[in-house]
Amino acid sequence: MAFEVVMPRLGWNMEEGAVVGWRKKDGDPVTAGEILFEVESDKAVQEVEALESGLLRIPPESPPLGTQVPVGTLLAWLVKPGEEMPSRAAAAPAVAPAAAGMIPAGSRAAEAPRPPEGKRIRISPRARRAASELGVDWALLSSSGSSGRILERDVRQAVAAGTAAPAASARAVRAHEAVPAAGTPSQDVLPISSVRRLTAERMSAGAHTTAPVTLTTEADATDLVRLRGQLKGESAQPAPSYNDLFAKLSAHALLDHPELNARFEGDSIVRSATVNIAIAVDTERGLLAPVVRDVQAKSLRQVAREAADLIERARAGRIHPEELRGGTFTITNLGMYEIDAFTPIINLPECAILGVGRIVAKQVVTDAGAGQVAIRHMVVLSLTFDHRLVDGAPAARLLQKIKRNVEKPYIWLAGA
Amino acid sequence: MREMTFVDAAREGLAEEMARDPAIFVVGEGIGVRGGNFNTTVGLYDRYGPERLRDTPISERGFTGICIGAAASGARPVVDFMFIDFLTDAFGDMFNQMSKLQWMSGGRLKMPIVVRGCVGVAPSNAAHHSGNYYPFFMHVPGFRVVMPTTPGDAKGLLKTSIRSDDPVLFLEHKNLLALKGPVPEGEHLVPFGKASVARGGKDVTVVGVAFMVKKALEAAELLAKDGVSVEVIDPRTLAPLDIDTILSSVRKTGRLLVVDEDFAPCGVAAEIAMQVMELGFDDLDAPVKRLNGLSCPAPYSPALMTNLIPTTTTIVQALRDLLAE
Repeated sequence: MAFEVVMPRLGWNMEEGAVVGWRKKDGDPVTAGEILFEVESDKAVQEVEALESGLLRIPPESPPLGTQVPVGTLLAWLVKPGEEMPSRAAAAPAVAPAAAGMIPAGSRAAEAPRPPEGKRIRISPRARRAASELGVDWALLSSSGSSGRILERDVRQAVAAGTAAPAASARAVRAHEAVPAAGTPSQDVLPISSVRRLTAERMSAGAHTTAPVTLTTEADATDLVRLRGQLKGESAQPAPSYNDLFAKLSAHALLDHPELNARFEGDSIVRSATVNIAIAVDTERGLLAPVVRDVQAKSLRQVAREAADLIERARAGRIHPEELRGGTFTITNLGMYEIDAFTPIINLPECAILGVGRIVAKQVVTDAGAGQVAIRHMVVLSLTFDHRLVDGAPAARLLQKIKRNVEKPYIWLAGA
Repeated sequence: MREMTFVDAAREGLAEEMARDPAIFVVGEGIGVRGGNFNTTVGLYDRYGPERLRDTPISERGFTGICIGAAASGARPVVDFMFIDFLTDAFGDMFNQMSKLQWMSGGRLKMPIVVRGCVGVAPSNAAHHSGNYYPFFMHVPGFRVVMPTTPGDAKGLLKTSIRSDDPVLFLEHKNLLALKGPVPEGEHLVPFGKASVARGGKDVTVVGVAFMVKKALEAAELLAKDGVSVEVIDPRTLAPLDIDTILSSVRKTGRLLVVDEDFAPCGVAAEIAMQVMELGFDDLDAPVKRLNGLSCPAPYSPALMTNLIPTTTTIVQALRDLLAE
């Protein structure tokens, strides 16, 4: 028989929610226990998994991504191979979500993952600890031992091979929650916000499931400062910010070095033909990184307009989840806080992230032979890349290219 | 360093202590002129005479009880049981008096007594001469259970045992008596509760008990040829037990095998496995494994001796199974 997939109630007071992404496509086989889709409600994005197995069928009337619908709304069916989706009319009225074959993945993060098809997943205590430390979802691993128990080596090998999935739920966060925080009056005990939880999960995955290496270099930004000054003098608003300039300069550098404009997808490395740049934004809710798409094809003004709009809506809490996805490269700028160099964490599934430091006037040797110094505007660039995807030399070449673009910010106008 | 046998090293320790402290004396069957069934006292009769090397009739309960009284009165007796199996005849006084008098007197009485004897399965020693019994004494509060496996430790631990104010079971495995090894001259004391890492390794930990340390070392040597790195731990004293050394090894390897020729139920391995589970659960990458002798009295028949206790071959196999878990 076909099982209904409906909008679940993920909290006592949840009335409606939006599907923000399917983890399976129409027609995909689904095993009970697998993550099926993501629901956003109350600004939290939660993964929802299937309790039943079958082929996923998403009917045309299923609500579009991002659309808020009431709890209980039919989203899809899980059917047997060869079985047709029941027609809409035949569908039973909305049922209580608890009975609808789904539970939110996060709701039982501290327990053992639910066994697919009633089979218990076994893991040694040592392996479970390693998985927790490395932020790996061990439910997806298999055992290399005769006992069938997942072993420490299975966890470490999966991480080394890059096949480990980040913990599907906020296990990493929960490990910290387990530390008794209450008790002394000198401490503030704060609930973890949804943005904080997602940030914790993604940063932890970015730090622990990648092989991050950070390269730094110092670039002469004097001409970039001059260009930005001229742009500010124009009447068109908004004037492109340094972030916009760095986005544009990086996009053109990435066109020359597509191996860093890439991500892991299953067993393959996918290089993106477009450069979608995520810009890290500090908001009251926490860190968000809205994505400016096709930066390589857009004019600087266009990038500036879109980025300003995205950043404003991110700060106002009105950004759409889809606008936070799909980046191929991230820029994070701490220059306004007088930070020079730092080690950014990769924004998975991207391959690299550029950290921009402050632009500061310095005395620089311009001609060592003649003993000449000059006052120049300098900026330190920090590029963290995932050594699993790409080696150090290509990453260094990308950073060198970005440095050249910063130092001669007119060059990219000429095109490839 | 000079080399000597296990039994000679232990005897040297005893002789040094007897020279140092006139309150020390030895009782047992055939330990006087004869020098002991296992040569534990050879030559000492000539040096210290019949007062301090007292041959006894075959009356274990009698001479053990007398020694308990002597220890409570300030003497430091060494009771030599030859085969530890005969100690069972003195069980009542050992459990009810020897182990309890210090507690019952609020510490006013001391019990500086060493009960020594040979343990272990050896060819056709049969049911009355092959016992181990140490788990009984690990179980009872107040006993120290000492089990050296090298000549150096035999000397160092016997001297520490004689100086202890608590009752000590000093157990010597028959198959180790002729083992030769380096022995320090003069003052050499090995502390209680300090295990020795007999062989360093990183893949799997083996805790051996008595003669099984030697067998585990042989197994480790064989596995090393296949690139398997085995760490062998000799607890040296079972009470107090140095669980910290075992835990830090398991922290490294994630896998533990305990090899003991004694019976499995409620034995040394059961105690070690429990403590590792309580204190090092998250370090374990596989369940703790134990390898024991068969749970039956030792037979006389050589044919029935086969596979009675763990061998190098069965230890190698157990380690391979544990590593394949």
